[in-house]
Parts: sequence; C-alpha cells; structure tokens
Amino acid sequence: MTVSTETSMINLPALEYFRSVNSTFPKNQEILDFKEKGKKVFGWLCTYVPEEVIIAAGALPVRITGYGRETDLADGNAYLYINNCSFSRSCLQRGLRGDYSFLDGVVGGSTCDGARRLFDAWRRYINTPFYQVLTVPRKTTDEAQALYLDQVISFKQNLEEFLGLQITETALLQAIEVCNETRDLLKKLYELRKRPEPPINGAQTLEVLTASFRMPKVNFNQKLKILLNELEHSKVVYNGRARLMVVGSVLDNPEFIKLIEETGGLVVTDELCTSTRYWSDPVIIQEGESAISAIARRYLTNFPCARMYPSEERFDRILALCRDFRVDGVLSQIIRYCVPYAHDFPLLNDKLKTAGIPVLDLDVEYGTSGSGQIRTRVQAFLEMMEAKK
Amino acid sequence: MTTNNKVNSIVQSCRVILKMATPGSLPKSDILYYQMLSKYYTKLLKAKENGNFVAAHTVFFPAEILYAMDIVPMHTEMTTWLVALFLGEQAELLSAGAELGLAAEICSPHRGLAGAFLRGYLPRPDVMLWSNLICDNTAKSGELVMKLNNCPGYFVDHPFQHSKAEVSYLVNELKGMIRFLEEHSGHKMNWDKLAETVARSNQQLALTREINELRKLVPSPFPTQGFLKLLSADYLFPGQPEAIEYLTQLRDELKNNASENKTAGKTEKYRLMTLFLPPIYLMSYLDKLYQEYGAVSVVEPMFNSRAEAEFDPSQPLKSVAEKSYLIPESRVMYGPLTDEVVKYVVDSATDYKVNGALFWAFLGCRHACATIKIFKDALNAADIPMLAVDCDIVDPTINPREEIGEKLGQYFELLEGL
Amino acid sequence: MITAIGVDIGSLTTKSVVLNETKIISTAVIRSSDETELCARTTIEQALQQIGLSFNPDIKVIATGLGSKSVTFSQSKSLTACLARGVNSIYPTARMAIDMGAESSTIIKLNERGRLTDWLSQDKCAAGTGVFLEQMAKLMNLTSAEMDALSFKAKFPPEITNTCAVFAESEVISHVHRVPATLREDIAAGIYRSVLGRIISMCKRIGIQREVVATGGVAMNKGIIAILNQELGFDILVPDNPQIVAALGAAIIAREATTGAKM
Repeated sequence: MTVSTETSMINLPALEYFRSVNSTFPKNQEILDFKEKGKKVFGWLCTYVPEEVIIAAGALPVRITGYGRETDLADGNAYLYINNCSFSRSCLQRGLRGDYSFLDGVVGGSTCDGARRLFDAWRRYINTPFYQVLTVPRKTTDEAQALYLDQVISFKQNLEEFLGLQITETALLQAIEVCNETRDLLKKLYELRKRPEPPINGAQTLEVLTASFRMPKVNFNQKLKILLNELEHSKVVYNGRARLMVVGSVLDNPEFIKLIEETGGLVVTDELCTSTRYWSDPVIIQEGESAISAIARRYLTNFPCARMYPSEERFDRILALCRDFRVDGVLSQIIRYCVPYAHDFPLLNDKLKTAGIPVLDLDVEYGTSGSGQIRTRVQAFLEMMEAKK
Repeated sequence: MTTNNKVNSIVQSCRVILKMATPGSLPKSDILYYQMLSKYYTKLLKAKENGNFVAAHTVFFPAEILYAMDIVPMHTEMTTWLVALFLGEQAELLSAGAELGLAAEICSPHRGLAGAFLRGYLPRPDVMLWSNLICDNTAKSGELVMKLNNCPGYFVDHPFQHSKAEVSYLVNELKGMIRFLEEHSGHKMNWDKLAETVARSNQQLALTREINELRKLVPSPFPTQGFLKLLSADYLFPGQPEAIEYLTQLRDELKNNASENKTAGKTEKYRLMTLFLPPIYLMSYLDKLYQEYGAVSVVEPMFNSRAEAEFDPSQPLKSVAEKSYLIPESRVMYGPLTDEVVKYVVDSATDYKVNGALFWAFLGCRHACATIKIFKDALNAADIPMLAVDCDIVDPTINPREEIGEKLGQYFELLEGL
Repeated sequence: MITAIGVDIGSLTTKSVVLNETKIISTAVIRSSDETELCARTTIEQALQQIGLSFNPDIKVIATGLGSKSVTFSQSKSLTACLARGVNSIYPTARMAIDMGAESSTIIKLNERGRLTDWLSQDKCAAGTGVFLEQMAKLMNLTSAEMDALSFKAKFPPEITNTCAVFAESEVISHVHRVPATLREDIAAGIYRSVLGRIISMCKRIGIQREVVATGGVAMNKGIIAILNQELGFDILVPDNPQIVAALGAAIIAREATTGAKM
C-alpha cells in the first residue's frame, strides 16, 4: 500500500481520537465519564448479543476483548487449558487480572466452545454482579428466530430486574435509532473503500471499528461524522499492489492489518465480527412489529459467523463483498483452535478458487501484530497475484 | 468412490475374537457384545445389497428415530474409533483428513471420519445427519461429509440450555429431520415402533443405572474397560432389543460376581474416577497397567448415565429430545457448567469411594479440557487428588504410551502415599 | 549407626545422602555417567568414604531420578515423592516446591506430612533448565556463576521468547552481536525472566500455595531466586543445599523402611 501524498499531511483528528479510545481501553475517558455519572456498564462477547437492549436500559455495552498483543496468558491457560483459542484465554486473563472489574455485568451467547467455556470460568472465578448467557440457535428458521427472541426477552427481563427499571418500547426504539445510525455511518465509511484510491486504509478502519464498541454509540456517531467529513476533505489516498479482503477469526488489532498493508497490499474490506459483520445489517421494524422482535430478528439473521448453518450463506456474502469491493485476493487468518472457522476453511477455499479469487491461509494467535514470517507469506502472495495479471 | 470399505474388518475382527475365545474365557456378556457389534456392521455392509437406506450420523444422535423408520444407522465417530482400534490405521485416516485441508487442531475423530470418507473406508451413506451436540467440531462436520459423499444432509440444531422452549425447538427440529428422511428414503415413520423404542429406553436406562450402582461396591465387580462396551450399547442400539439383551446379561453377571465376591482384577488398590475418555487405542495397555497396579475405574461421570428418569412413550419425540439433555455427555460434559454439575462430579467421587480422579486431557477437545481446573479445584476441596494426562483419543503420536504409563505409575505412587 | 541412604540420579549430576537415626551425616555430588548402576554406587561410596565408611549391601538404599529403576541394589521411588519428603523434612510448613534441574523442571505440591498431593512436569522442552542456562552463559563467554552475579546489575532486560529453546538461543545470539551489543547483565536477566516465565505458568496451572521452596541445581543461582521472588510477590524458601533435596527424601523413605517408623 502506498500513500499518494506526504504522510505528514495525514490530518485526521477524529481518527486520532478513536486511537486514544482504544489505546487507553478499558480505562478510556469515555467509559470513565459514563461510569462517573453513576451509570452501569455491561461487557458483551459475540455479535449475537443485542446491544440495543443494554442501551435501552440506560447502560453502556462494551465489547470484551483480550490484550492487543501476544502476551503471557498464564492465568488464562490455567483455567481454560492450552487448547482453547488464545482469544478466550486472553479475555479470561484480562478478566482475572481485574481489567474488567468496572463491569456491572457480562452477557454472552452460547456461540462457540471457547466462548461458552470462557463464560463458565468467568462465572466461577470472576465476581461480576450480573451474568447471562443467551442460547443462540445455529439456524435462522422461523422457529429459531422465535427461540432467540425468547432468549432476548428473558435477557431484557433479567436486566430490568437487576437494574430495577422498565425497558420501554420507546427506549428500545431510540436505541435502535442510535445503533442503526452507527451502522449507517460505518457503511458510508466502507463505501469510501470501494474507490480505486480510498482515503482510508484497512488499519485505520479497524481502529475506527474497535472504538465503536468501546464508547457510547451516541458519542461515537458524532465523532464518526466528523471523521467522514475529514476524509471528504483529506488529500491523502491509498492504493495497493492488490485489493485484499481479510476473513476469519475475531481480530481487533490494527497492527496486524498495518503489517499486511506494509507489504504493499491494501485491505479494502473484510468479513470480521469486529468489522463488517458487526455493522452489516440494520434493524428493520416490520409492520406492526415490536422493537424487541425486530432487534432479535436482526441479530440472528445478520451476516453469519462460521458457527451458523448453512455455511453457504456466509460464503455467498463473502463472495458478494469480493465483487462489490473488487477484491483481488483473500487473506484468511484463523486463530489456532478456532474450530468453526477451521472447518469452514476447506469449503470456503474451494468456493473462492472456483470464483477465481486466490486465498492465503494464515495461522495466527489472537492479538498478534504479525511477524516476519507472515510478512514474507503475504509478500509471496502478492507476487503470485501480480504474476498472474 | 473407491470401495476400500474397512467396515468389513470390524466384522471380521469380531468373528475372530469370538472364534478364538476358548470356551468359558469370555463372559457371555462379552460374547453378546461382539455379536451385537458384528450384527450392526454386517447390516451396514449388506445395506446396499438389501436395498436398505443408510443414514450416517454423529455422536449422541437420536438413532431411535432411524430404527423406527427402518433406516440403517452408521455412527460416524464410533466407526472411526473402531477402525482405529481394530486396524490401527489412524495415521492413514488422519493424513487423509489433513489432505482435505482440516487443521491439525481439529479433534482427531472428526479429522479421521472425514479422512475415512475420503479414502472410502466407510460405505457411502444415503444421507448425512448431524447436530451440534456435543461441540463445534460435530456441528461443523456435516457439510464436508455431504460434499465428500455427494449426498444430502440434515442438521439438527440442539439448543444450549434446557428449558421448555428449547426442548420444543428441538422437537420441531426432529420433526423436520423426520420429514427430510421420509422424503429421501421413501420410508414412513412408524410412530408405534418409536413409542416401543422409548419404552425400551426406560428399561435401558434402568439397567444401566443398576449396573452403575453395582460398581459402587468395594471391590467393584465390573472391569474398567467394560465401560466402553456399555457406551457402545447405547450409541449403536439405543432402545433396541439387542441392547436390552446385552445389558440384562451384563447386569446378571455383575450381580453374580458381586455376590460371589469376584473382583474385576487381581486386587483393588486404587478406585478411580475417570473424567472424559481414555485413549481408545490404549485400551488393552491400560487394562494391563491397571491390573498391575490394582487400579480400577469405577465411575465416569461424563459418560455413564446414572440418571433417574422415566420417559413417556406416548410422547416419543419429546422423550427423545429430553434424553439428549439428560445424558451425562450433554449435561455434564457439554454444559452449561453449573454448580449443580460440579457437585455431581464431586458427589460421584465420594459415592463411589474413589481414591483419586483421572482426567484424560484430550487435546482435540477444547471444551472438555476447559473443565479441568474447575473440577480439579472442586475435587481437591473434597480431598480427592486429580491427575490430568495430556493425550489424544485416536492418535498415538501425541503422547507416547511409555510416558502415559510413567505418569500413571507416579500417580499411583502418589495415591499410595496419601 | 547408619540407617539409610538415598541416591538421586540426575541427567547432569548424581547426588547421594547418608542418614543416621536423626540427621544427615554425609552427602556427595558427582557428574553423571551413562552407567547408571556404577554411577549410583560411586556416589554412595564417595559419601561413605567422606565419613570413613564403606558400602554395605545390607543398608537400605532408595534410588530416584533417571534410570533409578535399573539400579539393582536399591528400590526405586519417583522423584516427585522423594522431593516431597525431602522438602517437608527441611521446611515442615512447605506446601509447594519448584524443582529446577538440569534437563527438566517440576512443580510439586505436598501436604503437612510431606506426602505428594499433585505435580506438574516440564520435560518436553529444553527452555527453562540448567543445561539451557549453561549454554546461554557460554554464548556470552561466562560461567553460570558469573552470569548469575551479573544478572543483579540488569537495568533493561530484553524480552526473550520462552516458547522454544532454539528461538531463545538465536535471540540471545542476536543480542550479543548487536551493534551496540545489549549489555550482558541485561541479557542475563532477560534469560532468567524467560526461563521463569514458564515456571510461573506452571505454578499458576497447579495453583500457588505457600510456603514455596526452591530445589534443584538451578536454585543455587541467587539471581534466579531474586527474580522468582519478584514475580511471585513473596520470598520463596531456599535450602542451604538445594541440589540434594530429592536424595534426602529418598533417604528418609529408606530410613522409614528400615525402622518401620512412619511419620
């Protein structure tokens, strides 16, 4: 990836703001300010936990993530054993170290083995006052949606009891509006990346995304609007030897994308649960439908995680993104022991091959900022793609 | 699809075992067991020739439904384990799995079964059925198998928690599966037959309970590795007359052993609780080792049902659904890991008067290993030491048997010292 | 007068302890050889010679460590069980011990009677052991003792990988040859931290319980102990002669067998 203007001319204060939200997490000013007002904060894991419900309760949803680097996970390893993914171990390590002691509650979904065991351990060894795990069906049939709605309603009720308040229809509708605005703004951000020379690169985009779940959405939306404006007026553009898409396991470390982009490729889109899949579908309220029903439907039928069935849907959406963003090559980064993604890989690889899109298969650990080895492999991948042109 | 069908080897191995056994050397229950195994796989082998419809399925699957529809079941994981056990061809299966692009961290039985289909070791099924019980590996294995065999499939979504709404959802899933099977097999569900199966399941549960109750005796009248046979009866013939016959015979033998004060081994020095499963390929080695040290496994809370339950034959699908929540593989091993479950594990140790617990830390099973510390802490609080042994249940290259043997030796020494 | 002998056959050194009814009366440490039986015997004879006595086949001997099963004139007991007894005899309040040997590290937990209740071994990887430390010292043209003394002067110890000995070695080499070279005291401390990272991981896995005792040859390095104390947040106990603790435990077990007295 090259920058078509002097790097020193990059002037995006809003982006810098998001960077600081991330670098000081979990004790960033946004969260501290929120807590100071006496309000509650709920940690969540997985895109199958409806943030709107938390927001409608007047609380702040904050995504639970691990360390932003590969690091010693002795405590996490002790509780989850070495063969659970480094993501779950890293999150648990942070929890055990007290990094999340400010949380009033944790909410998760029964999404994958690593996540649900993380929650089992969390419940026993970390004293967070409120705790709930939602059953998340693997299908999106009408019956599955009904079951999931049931779970979301029970979550709402438990939250009401815990907080001693009522979550009203109005509050839910307002929360939907705020979250939909976030999604819409993020969509606009991604639209910019469809350009042959986008004003923002992959690493910067991930910085924006990770900030989105570490601060109140209202404030985030405000700042993102400013960023979109800054980008509109920025003279800086990016282009690359190839337009790349990153798919695979949970990834929230912009350093990793930075390493990839340093080789000359430009990451223009992704299928990550911390990025595209996070904002992909808006909540749409159908005629005569309650807010909570619309919320539940959106969350279950959203751009699917590899845990969902059938996997075709995930593959189709990935292919569509490849077309829309004119992707030259796909980088699959799968965390060791991330089972759902590992199983999908051979099938996805086949599909992409058939569509004429080359795939690079990378084994990673959560939090990695990449390594010399990864850099070499990405280089080789880019060279191979160029040779084919 | 190549016809490398290795299922025949299982049948042959059973025949050989039965033939070679000198009269009286094998208890009648063992004879029934090998006959049962042989029958299952012979049926599978002859399925095409007999114009039968074959449905491959994953673990803890309600095969009762298949029997009631006159469909021949093929238990994919069990068959892979047995092929590994009888033929020792794990390496071939696992390398085939790797060829398919499956990462090494994926649980070996699942890599193995995909590899087995690739190499044609298993007969091509007419349909593939799978659920997310008991883990992500199971949930994700079906689509690849469908592709390898170019056959249709049905995924049964098993919800995580045990509530009324979730059982309803599961029943609905099972109904969907039945419709799918009726469409593809041309067979109709025989609801009477299913009701009979459920009634027999009650009997099966009761017999299993009785057998496990007998193992509380000191000394235990039940041989350690016999528990795998106990499991297979339920996995391969749930609610079927064959399982009832086998379990009845086994129960009677044990009662007899108990009354005549016969022990399973020479001496019973160490009573162990087994968590998870010992490596399948190490069965005979462990048998010898245990006998040498006077050790015996008397309880396996993650795998052996001691449930008190009565299913209602007039609601067969609901009963089958409830059963899937009740089995320890689901309740204890899968989750959610509640305080009640932890207590059950600790109580199992005390009820069975164990000296120590042994956790077979199968590195391919993430969610089982995540319980190690939780159970260890709880057991230690009850003064029961627990040893975790890293291993793989089908791949012998992960941890050499000598090392496992040494670790166990040290553990027995530890138990002796206490 | 003599009641029992214990011998610990290690990969680098073999240790023996001679006990009378109440205390240690002699110890010996020699370099191990391939001939286990001969080695064990030589160590015992040396310890006996030191107090003017010779080997008597009637004296009860317990052997532990590598190849102890093949020693014909003794019974064999596991290293962990011997460590537990040895540690308990020196520090009755000890509930945990970290044994850092030449080629492997083991964490044990013991009860008030010196009985082993749990253990965790790291023997699949060279990183974190005495032999590894010796090699690292050589890379810096130092003896182990010199490296140990230097480590106290460290100000900015670099992070050195602890997941693989080969990688660690190459990292140390690059630090030595860097321009400007990383200071040897910093490298030394970095190596120690890396080694101890694995040890601490194991401690957390098994669950830390005080008092904690350090045993094994590597425990003789004061620098290692200093960093271990830092990482644990409390001072671990170090016997005067950490190397002979397992042999001591073996001797105690032997003595019990002779007298029939069980503690």
